[in-house]
Amino acid sequence: MSRSRVWFFSAVVLLMVSAPLRALTYEVGGCKTSKSYVNFTTISAAVIGVPAGSTIQICPGVYPEQVTITQPLTLKGITFNNANRSVITINPNGNLAPNVTSVIGESLYAQLLVQNINPIGPVNIIGITVDGNGGPQQGCTDASGFAGIFYASGTTGTVNEVTARNQIGGCGLGAGIWVENGASPTQSITVENSSVRNMDGPGIIAVSIQNPATLVATIRGNFVNSANSLQGNTEAVGIWAEGESGTVTNNLITGSGIGILSSGGADNLCCANTISGNTLADIPGSPGTAIALSAPGDSTAQLNKISNVSLAFDLASGRDTVKSNASMNTMYAVWFFCNAGNTVSGNTLSDSTFGFLQAPSLITGNAIYNIDTVQTGACP
Amino acid sequence: MSRHLAWFFLAVAMLVVSAPLQAVTYEVGGCKTGASYVNFTTISAAVSGVPAGSTIQVCPGVYPEQVTISQPLTLKGITFNNSSRSVITINNPTGAPLAPNVTSIEAGPVYAQVLVQNVIPLGSVNIIGITVDGTGGGAGCPTLAGIFYASGTSGTVNEVAMRHQLTPGCFFASGNGIWAENGASLNQTITVENSSVHDFDSTGIQAISEQFPSTLTATIKGNFASNFVDVTVQHDRAQGIQNIGATSAIMDNFITSGSGNTPSTANLFGVISYPDANDDVGNVITASGNTVADLYGYAITSQQFGDTAKSNKLSNVYAGLVVFFAVVESNTVMNTSQGYVFNASNPQCASEGTISGNVVNDSSLAFFGLPLVQIQKNQVDSDDVVQMSPQCP
Repeated sequence: MSRSRVWFFSAVVLLMVSAPLRALTYEVGGCKTSKSYVNFTTISAAVIGVPAGSTIQICPGVYPEQVTITQPLTLKGITFNNANRSVITINPNGNLAPNVTSVIGESLYAQLLVQNINPIGPVNIIGITVDGNGGPQQGCTDASGFAGIFYASGTTGTVNEVTARNQIGGCGLGAGIWVENGASPTQSITVENSSVRNMDGPGIIAVSIQNPATLVATIRGNFVNSANSLQGNTEAVGIWAEGESGTVTNNLITGSGIGILSSGGADNLCCANTISGNTLADIPGSPGTAIALSAPGDSTAQLNKISNVSLAFDLASGRDTVKSNASMNTMYAVWFFCNAGNTVSGNTLSDSTFGFLQAPSLITGNAIYNIDTVQTGACP
Repeated sequence: MSRHLAWFFLAVAMLVVSAPLQAVTYEVGGCKTGASYVNFTTISAAVSGVPAGSTIQVCPGVYPEQVTISQPLTLKGITFNNSSRSVITINNPTGAPLAPNVTSIEAGPVYAQVLVQNVIPLGSVNIIGITVDGTGGGAGCPTLAGIFYASGTSGTVNEVAMRHQLTPGCFFASGNGIWAENGASLNQTITVENSSVHDFDSTGIQAISEQFPSTLTATIKGNFASNFVDVTVQHDRAQGIQNIGATSAIMDNFITSGSGNTPSTANLFGVISYPDANDDVGNVITASGNTVADLYGYAITSQQFGDTAKSNKLSNVYAGLVVFFAVVESNTVMNTSQGYVFNASNPQCASEGTISGNVVNDSSLAFFGLPLVQIQKNQVDSDDVVQMSPQCP
């Protein structure tokens, strides 16, 4: 047998083996109907009915469901018949229930819950809209909250090109996308290219309670918009890294009370974050802060652009690096809280009423323009 | 005499000659004193009193003046005694009110707070680190401008702050930040960069030329425009950056109109490009790397075929990219009512230009008037309607 004929037969065998596998596409909504499709009518039925590792295509349409995913898979919204919005909504019959407790103790109503993944593997959510309109306005208790997408402890995966909207919890606890880890081993979760809007809590939040952190979140290229402080929304945070070690890059954040918050978590022992290339605007009032670095690690904020906010940088933790950022049209540029451990250099700070608030010493090494009072606020 | 010694004497001679020139620094405001400073009490006195090409340092403080610059020079705000704000304000009500001081090639008489005009000898006028505050300048509904570069002028505006160019209560809002134009045949180059422009009700930054080909090349980059138009009744459009007939590169600007605007009208524009008054289509712009958000209106709009929009980020606006672009590539549009509208009305559905690699996410309506073959070169996610009816084939 000639060599080329061997190749030919091998190819035919490969085709025969792989053809049945390729033929099965899992679909929800009924827009794709041929022998090669396995159809489901609900997302909930699909996520338990497919083999682990499958991709489930979601037809454009409205899915009034509370979804729990417990195996690795990819959920993907598709375009059909000139529509592209596959939207998970609140069931108007009101069956949304608390379905998970966060590592920080909050009982949560999660619209799309990723939990207890078996076998271990990533859960990816792509091109889906999660709309919280009509969700639990359960009033102001600190013990409960509301999330559009929730990745519980021990889970991993990617959220890409998603829309999360209208997660209003009633007292600052409505979150768009919430990812967390409360146990080792370390998990990696990516939230990217998503549109997150109209929350009264964090747009995107990543939480870890270990030291060192067991969650590495990559939060990039998202557009987050929330009502701002002047509109009575002082607790909204655009992107919140709480006790985790990750990167927050190239996001566009407008509105909210704090644009990007890096905080130490429950025990306030951890961690460091890199916050770079983000653009933040329209964060007036109080707190009205673009970037707040209060986690006790050595965080870095660089190459961010900040416009029309009350305070550009809040350096409460005292050991952070703020460099090569540009801020304009602010009340205050940088608040040091009299901490001596921060490095603030190479920034361009323009058009501020005050430049440096409670700086422990004379701050040099930045380009300063159009600032009424460069340094203000005495330190002991 | 050895060669070394000759060089030494030459160097000494140069030092002696140049020393007196180096010693003179021009200053306004009185924060710098001493034999090496020539002091002026007003910016107006300084800009006419220094030799052409000088740099004038402006001390922090308030300068209630209407300034006209008619020779090449650099005006530079400096830091002194814990302040770096040198602010030109309206001399009102104690002094003479703002007067019309220039006629625009496009818009009639303009009341300019800082006017650059009839610059002799020819050369650049640079304005750096100055604040121009228009508070009170809108009384009587003038066409108000913070900084105005008139025909035949050139230079750079860098790290400037423009604020409160507002005309409250006027039927047509007409408060403008930085205005550069050329109606003459000699080519001019003007750069506006790294500036903060906020609280205006007409145009933040604009470049205008009425020749074809354009005689104004404008570079508008790295500026932050915010909080524009907050008037209850808006009878005219307002925009962050406007180009009329000039050849402009509009890049890396950050434009938000503030989230306090009531969505009663979609009459706001982030970046807008028009042909000139003679409809000389072809003096095109490139808009790249801009971020436009929080604007109840149109993020980037072109009214002439041939413009380019690349790698812009647009969010929380009524509509993303609109009308006659030639090249629309790699833009990201999220959270819009109409993500991306291509309305080449004559003929509709024309497959002109390059429209590819754009990402449209979270729109009520993604595309309009665009052939399917072009739509397919882009990425759509979470959009209610991909193509508005009537759909193109």
